[in-house]
Amino acid sequence: MKRFFDNELETFRSRLMLMGETAIRQVRDSLKALVDADVALADRVIAADDELDALEMAIDDEAIRYMNLRSPVATELRLVIVGMKASHDLERVGDECTTIAKRAVRLAGMPPLKPYVDIPRMAEIAMEMLRDALDCFLHGDTEKALAVVRRDSEVDAINKQLYRELSSFMVENPATTTRALELMFISKSLERIADHACNIAEEMVFLAKAQDIRHREELKKG
Amino acid sequence: MSTKKPFFSSTYKPVGESWVWVTSMGLAIGLVMILFLLGMIVYNGLEVFWPKPVARVELREGSEAGIRGSTTFAGEIIKKQIKKVAAVGSDAPPGQEYQFYVGNKDAYGFTFKYIDADQIAEITYPQPLMVAERMEYGRAIFEPVELRQADGAVIAADHPDFRPTLDRLITEAGERRRVIRKIERDRIGDINRQLESIRLRKRSLEAKAAPSAADAHQLNEVFPSRVAELQQQFGVLAAEARELRELQEVAKLQVKTPDGSDRTYAIGSLIEVNRPNDLGAFEKVGIFFHRFWTFLSDEPREANTEGGIFPAIFGTFVMTLLMSMAVTPFGVLAAIYLREYAKQGPFVRAVRIAVNNLAGVPSIVFGVFGLGFFVYFLGGTIDQLFYSLSLPTPTFGTGGVLWASMTLALMTVPVVIVATEEALSAVSRGTREGSLACGASKWQTIQRIVLPASLPGILTGLILAMARGAGEVAPLMLVGVVKLAPTLPLDTIYPFFHLERKFMHLGFHIYDLGFQSPDSEAAKPMVFATTFLLILLVVCLNLGAILIRNHLRKKYKTATF
Amino acid sequence: MSTATLPRTDFSTTMRTQPAVTTAQPSTDGFDPAYIQIKDFSFSYGAAQVLHNLTLDIPERQVTAFIGPSGCGKSTLLRNLNRMNDLVDGVHHKGDILVAGHSIYDPLIEVIALRKRIGMVFQKSNPFPKSIYENVVYSLRVAGRNGKAELDEVVERSLKGAALWDEVKDRLHESAFGLSGGQMQRLCIARAIANRPEILLMDEPCSALDPIATSKVEELIHELKKEFTIVIVTHNMQQAARVSDRTAFFYLGKLIEYSETRRIFQNPSNPQTEAYVSGRFG
Repeated sequence: MKRFFDNELETFRSRLMLMGETAIRQVRDSLKALVDADVALADRVIAADDELDALEMAIDDEAIRYMNLRSPVATELRLVIVGMKASHDLERVGDECTTIAKRAVRLAGMPPLKPYVDIPRMAEIAMEMLRDALDCFLHGDTEKALAVVRRDSEVDAINKQLYRELSSFMVENPATTTRALELMFISKSLERIADHACNIAEEMVFLAKAQDIRHREELKKG
Repeated sequence: MSTKKPFFSSTYKPVGESWVWVTSMGLAIGLVMILFLLGMIVYNGLEVFWPKPVARVELREGSEAGIRGSTTFAGEIIKKQIKKVAAVGSDAPPGQEYQFYVGNKDAYGFTFKYIDADQIAEITYPQPLMVAERMEYGRAIFEPVELRQADGAVIAADHPDFRPTLDRLITEAGERRRVIRKIERDRIGDINRQLESIRLRKRSLEAKAAPSAADAHQLNEVFPSRVAELQQQFGVLAAEARELRELQEVAKLQVKTPDGSDRTYAIGSLIEVNRPNDLGAFEKVGIFFHRFWTFLSDEPREANTEGGIFPAIFGTFVMTLLMSMAVTPFGVLAAIYLREYAKQGPFVRAVRIAVNNLAGVPSIVFGVFGLGFFVYFLGGTIDQLFYSLSLPTPTFGTGGVLWASMTLALMTVPVVIVATEEALSAVSRGTREGSLACGASKWQTIQRIVLPASLPGILTGLILAMARGAGEVAPLMLVGVVKLAPTLPLDTIYPFFHLERKFMHLGFHIYDLGFQSPDSEAAKPMVFATTFLLILLVVCLNLGAILIRNHLRKKYKTATF
Repeated sequence: MSTATLPRTDFSTTMRTQPAVTTAQPSTDGFDPAYIQIKDFSFSYGAAQVLHNLTLDIPERQVTAFIGPSGCGKSTLLRNLNRMNDLVDGVHHKGDILVAGHSIYDPLIEVIALRKRIGMVFQKSNPFPKSIYENVVYSLRVAGRNGKAELDEVVERSLKGAALWDEVKDRLHESAFGLSGGQMQRLCIARAIANRPEILLMDEPCSALDPIATSKVEELIHELKKEFTIVIVTHNMQQAARVSDRTAFFYLGKLIEYSETRRIFQNPSNPQTEAYVSGRFG
């Protein structure tokens, strides 16, 4: 049976999806701005963060209103709560993208330290993780969500490797310190984005199966 | 170790529960008594119709106890009992005695005979013994000798043609009897009614202050010629009837009574004959139902002790129906005003108490009131206004089925009012408000919602009223019930309903048979049979009303979740 | 009543025609925000005053919920809107109630005419001991409208409006008591809307229903508010939250707070309201 307020939930879901898409776009654009040293694109990324902020607030408001007036239970309640948490994670992703874009602007005025190989790969993985987590939201595919959680270590490994590599750059040639540090922070940001994707994936498992897998490695191994 | 109390104590007994049996005993005793009463009535009432064997009794040599000095007689054994009166001057314990139904009242002058058991030498059940139902003097018990037909032919009793011929002749006689009755009751009755109406018109013309020429013509020419014409018709019909009556006397049955004397019965006086000792079970059942049907559908004969009770059944039915038709609208309207419109207060409470008390007034008081108010005052007034020509013969100014119904309606109206009030108050406030919220007025609400919903309850009141009214006798004796009224209050003669006619009533019939009959011993079986029918009629009326009520209940059953 | 100069039909015609002019956009802006005006209204049963100087405006074509603990007077107020309380002995009121600008206590207004304009649904479903069909057309029949075609049309429209048509269309002439509890209540709603009233009063319409039937009725209320101004009394706060646009909280015969439903349930300004809606009252 359909209820007259069911479409409110539909709006809520589509808003969350829109927010996810926007976040992925931000990641892609910020990376593109970095690799192409495209200052204009970077500025657009920084400006577009407001979209995400507005969406987060709208989702929060809608969630509170829904909980207040519709007294949701079970799946609906999890959806509303997961929606709030995921929107927060996505907003954080947006913030990280802003950071990357800002650093991209700064790096754009300097000669490249080395060809961008690892960082785009990290970004690629992080975006895939986000995409998979959102797919899970759309289709309730918890296997894919668990895979997202497991892929986090890949990003961590690249991040660690980059850390060592950039550290050695700085030791060998102190003149590269500024650029190496910027890149190190960008790498850190991407690692954080992957972490948020992990969180979202965990939340989606909670949404689909009402099972909390956070901090429980044995469940993630599955 | 702690001593733990057991969770269940085996010594605990619920207080007072052992007295429940008193309530069940109360019900059981009531049920047993009612079942006993009903059983007795049904048994005795139905036994009347069952053909009993006829015993031939041989008395001891030289016994003086027999009939007309004979030592043999025949009769149905009614009962065997310890003698009520011991022999004079004897200290010996009273012996046993038999009571016989010996019939042949025309020959003996009595129908029942007590015989001491020690006088009887032998009791046999010979097959030739025949019992005849007759128009007069009850049943005859005899041995047939021969049948003398109209053409003089004689058939002896042992001839194989005897029985079929006898039955045929009796059937023919019965048909002739119906024809005579039709002539005498219907056609001659019709002439009498026309003569009566001419007499009344004549009186009305004579009463005119200034009779016109046309009136004089009517008086002097038309009426006398019409009267003469009618009288001539009457003569023809009377002759026809006389002729038929004579035919009834032609064929004769020669018999020998059990005590040995010869008698001759005209076939026309016999209604049916059978040999009770020679009947199979199927024939007995057939006779049982035939007699039962005759009892239901025939008119009474011989001071009500024989024949049927159809007029009484019909009278009771019509009176109860008329009463219901009068009491329902009256009681329901009164109850509607009392419950729905009257401002509830001390006055309405007083009215309600008065209505309840009315139900406790002895019924004979209602009878007296009915006689005074309905019969003398209302009926007398109606006679003055509309039937003044037939005065001093009263039309409505004497007891009749209308006044009897009205009297009983008055008597039962409290029952209907109380039941209707209950039913009205049982219709929920929510339903009423629902109707008002739809924009209905109060009257529309009562008419369309409240009354239909309370119909089952109103019918319950009507059922109670009907049960009380149908079983009432005392007030009816004053306002219209008579011992014998073969004309029914409803027939095919214009204007079909004859509300002024007196009528017969089962309850009064019982009283009349049991206590006013010339031969109460002979009427006893009829008392039981009539009682049985009265109960049957009340049950049928109630059952009908209950069926209607249940149908309505199903239709209007209140909502439950 | 000798004032024949004042047309009696005035009341009913104004109610229908006045607000329907500006229906171009679906927002409630086009409708009268003060369709029912309760002005300083007090009400007593005998010596006991149950309503104290209430003043509130009920907007047109919205759902307004009355909530409050038992005995707070919310039902009494609702039953005053169609003057159902007139039936009780010894009642009197002060102040006024206006519907579409006309006082319902105007001596020129026949109370029956008023009730034709204001349908009511009761706490316990109270179908009449009649067939489903006759139940629905009752308000037309008592108004003397008996045309078969019209009645048929009204039955179909009303039962469809009450989302009951598909369930009962094959047994319209069977007894209404054969329906389930939820169906009966929807039948009562169909009956209440059969004569096209402007206002629908609902006195705890779901209190005797199971959750499925309840949600069907709530669904219906949401549909009906497109056409009717609905005032609903409910003990179920979730229900008030779900179905109503505005909520009034009553306590001891006084109006404590009256606002948009969301505001009442999310950030009520009165601590009593908050205590009540959060279930820790008293």
